[in-house]
Amino acid sequence: MCGILGYFRKHPGTDAQLGATMLNMLQALGRRGPDSAGVALVGPAHRAGCIVRVTAGGELEMTPQAIEANREAIQVFAASLHGASDLSSIGGYVRFVLNGDVDLLAFTQAIESIGEGIEVLSIGHAMELSKEVGTPHLLEGKHHISAFAGTHGIGHTRLCTESMVDLSHSQPFWGRGAADVAIVHNGHITNYHQLRRKYEQRGVRFMTENDSEVLAVYLAESLNRGETLRQGLDGVLRDMDGAYCCLAVTATEMGFVKDPYAFKPLVVAETDDFVAVATEEIAIRSALSGDYEVSEAQVEEVRVWSR
Amino acid sequence: MVEIAAVAIDAETLSTREVNALIRSRLQGGATEIIVENPNARHNLAVALLQPGRVRFLGSVGYYCGGLMDGAEIHVQGSAGWGLAESMSHGSVVVHGGAGNGAAAAIRGGTVVIHGDAAARLGVSMKGGLVLVGGDCGYMAGFMGQKGTLVVCGNTGAAFADSMYATTCYVGGAIGNLGTDAVIETLTPEEAGMLNGLLAEHLPPAVRATKPAGRDFKKVVAGRKLWNFDKHNWKTWQDAL
Repeated sequence: MCGILGYFRKHPGTDAQLGATMLNMLQALGRRGPDSAGVALVGPAHRAGCIVRVTAGGELEMTPQAIEANREAIQVFAASLHGASDLSSIGGYVRFVLNGDVDLLAFTQAIESIGEGIEVLSIGHAMELSKEVGTPHLLEGKHHISAFAGTHGIGHTRLCTESMVDLSHSQPFWGRGAADVAIVHNGHITNYHQLRRKYEQRGVRFMTENDSEVLAVYLAESLNRGETLRQGLDGVLRDMDGAYCCLAVTATEMGFVKDPYAFKPLVVAETDDFVAVATEEIAIRSALSGDYEVSEAQVEEVRVWSR
Repeated sequence: MVEIAAVAIDAETLSTREVNALIRSRLQGGATEIIVENPNARHNLAVALLQPGRVRFLGSVGYYCGGLMDGAEIHVQGSAGWGLAESMSHGSVVVHGGAGNGAAAAIRGGTVVIHGDAAARLGVSMKGGLVLVGGDCGYMAGFMGQKGTLVVCGNTGAAFADSMYATTCYVGGAIGNLGTDAVIETLTPEEAGMLNGLLAEHLPPAVRATKPAGRDFKKVVAGRKLWNFDKHNWKTWQDAL
């Protein structure tokens, strides 16, 4: 199953309720995915630098001591960087702001080579990603996502069907190497192995066995080539086989694509104030009051909203 | 016994099982109309209702509303999720908004009216009854329909009326494309009159006024090429499968 959702506020300026709205939507989809929960939230942009979010390791695979050692090593590394600021950590997560331009992929690999289990979860001027094994309630307890003020975001509750349950395999996935890009996906990419082999031959490194990761890799590459999010999502329809609904965010946009057979559910509500997209209408109704219509997306539908 | 006219149920604090049990017991107790407040797009509401009576949902319902029903009348003052009225025997389901995938799939009888749009796989494998959509419908509507009538006032998605047996379809707008073995037949004046009657009966006057006239509908039926296997016709089968 899995549940996916997106919320996009149309008004200029940040919405103090963004995190709370997203949490309500996520909780309504909790039944669809008890294995893990996560969000990619877009806040006010850091003009000078990028917000980096790193996990020191998952609690399922590593001892608390090993995670703590990794966390300290990441902090030492971040503190040694020229231009790093706002260093903080919650649980096994380390967050800091990296000022100045860097090669994101090389920087990511540098951090991940510090120790086994370390993974960069997101880098962006405005987008921050949090995910945990467990329920939306647990995600909120650790990361207080309800306090996040911003403009738009996507979320995911996971029912694992093929790959393993751990932090790394949870969603959203960051589009590694592309600032502010993240995806959530409900479905199966059936030509995943072919696509992965093609990417790996070109040297792209995959972090998981989760077929959804290939969507993040695909969109990151598309956007880094200079394509628009719409072009990227149109490309998904062309190049991906299977049953899928995928939502994606950039610093200024949110969009979705639905497969050519409509095997997976996705409903949309749009008003003058907001756009809400979710696997089930219950997620939208339980988070957003008011008189609005909700309709199912059609086959091969691609829609993108921009700020 | 005193007849109880209408009974309200607030679903907000009840489980779905409790809501459904209350609907049943109130109808058995003689209520003629049950009004359900705060359905909140929840799944499995009013599934397998087997007695007559009217149930009105003041808001959207989730998946499978009215599924396996026999004889009741359901009004949804909102939209509906997947599998609306699936495998219904008799009765009627009216949705004021749109419906998700697989609405009226495999119904054996009764009437399903959707004022808004229907998504993919509308009325697939229907075995009788009437499905009437005020707006557009999605991909693969009418697939393998065996009997009954499917009316779409707006446009259809791709693969419309694919591999049908004997469902009769009428489309007021544009057909995305016809499915395998679907053919357009000439609409008779009697059928145009019948469509005018159906639209007047099932759509509110203001909604009806925006829909095409009966004579402007296209009629789609099975070309009967897939009804019996014929090895000389292998290409058609290859395309269908």
